[in-house]
Amino acid sequence: MSTPRAFGVFSVVFAVVGSIVYVICVEQNYALFSYHPAVNQFGAGVQEPMDGPVMYWYGWIATSTIAATLAGLLACALPASVAQRVWSGWAWLIPAAVMIVFCYLLRNFFL
Amino acid sequence: MNTATALLIVHGLLAVALLGAITHQALSVWVPASKPAGSFVGRFRGVASGSYVNAVIVLYVLTTVLGAIIYPEYRLNVRLVLEQLELRSQNGAFELKEHFAVVGLAMLPAYWYYWRQPLAADNARSRAVLTAILAFIVWWNFLVGHILNNIRGFGS
Repeated sequence: MSTPRAFGVFSVVFAVVGSIVYVICVEQNYALFSYHPAVNQFGAGVQEPMDGPVMYWYGWIATSTIAATLAGLLACALPASVAQRVWSGWAWLIPAAVMIVFCYLLRNFFL
Repeated sequence: MNTATALLIVHGLLAVALLGAITHQALSVWVPASKPAGSFVGRFRGVASGSYVNAVIVLYVLTTVLGAIIYPEYRLNVRLVLEQLELRSQNGAFELKEHFAVVGLAMLPAYWYYWRQPLAADNARSRAVLTAILAFIVWWNFLVGHILNNIRGFGS
């Protein structure tokens, strides 16, 4: 069974948008929901700690996954002539750059 | 042994399998064996790279999901200890681990697409670099997880 060419565009856009939106979510704290592990309770959006620490990681993943999926699906609607010109290298270049950005953002842990 | 410890052990075992699969693939792509290999290292490099793709994806997702399930245990019982002991670099290494894991997840659809058969020669570089980045993430996450587990101690 052959894979539709559109999936190639989807996968590149998913990697690019997913990585960029994720780092923005972490930096600006755009968590779709919060989790309070001490009381095993979820809450919508960004919440203050409640009887212990609060975790936003799951919420950041949810936000960035939704954004990446929507962007990827939109990209699938691009005309074939445009889609063919999407460079496959964006799928690794942007995630690699985002990893370097995280190293910079977290540099104070190591200094 | 409580549930979290059991899940941590399974998480570690899945990570070992993932480490083996992605390292085999990365070495076979970047330093392929040029002739039938006789040595252990040569045979390690001389595998069919494409045959590891589905295993890598399944193991990566399973390992990450399991890590996400036991993450609250880390947040409540390990991170606080690291902070009390002022182990800042170890704490930062784990922060990188959680973020790198998500970046790796974002790359998985592209990784699968560019490794699908028949392999397109045009995408050889993307295929190789995606594999190398995933290998780096897996190695980083494995070593950091191992070190942090050693600091906190088994089942403590």
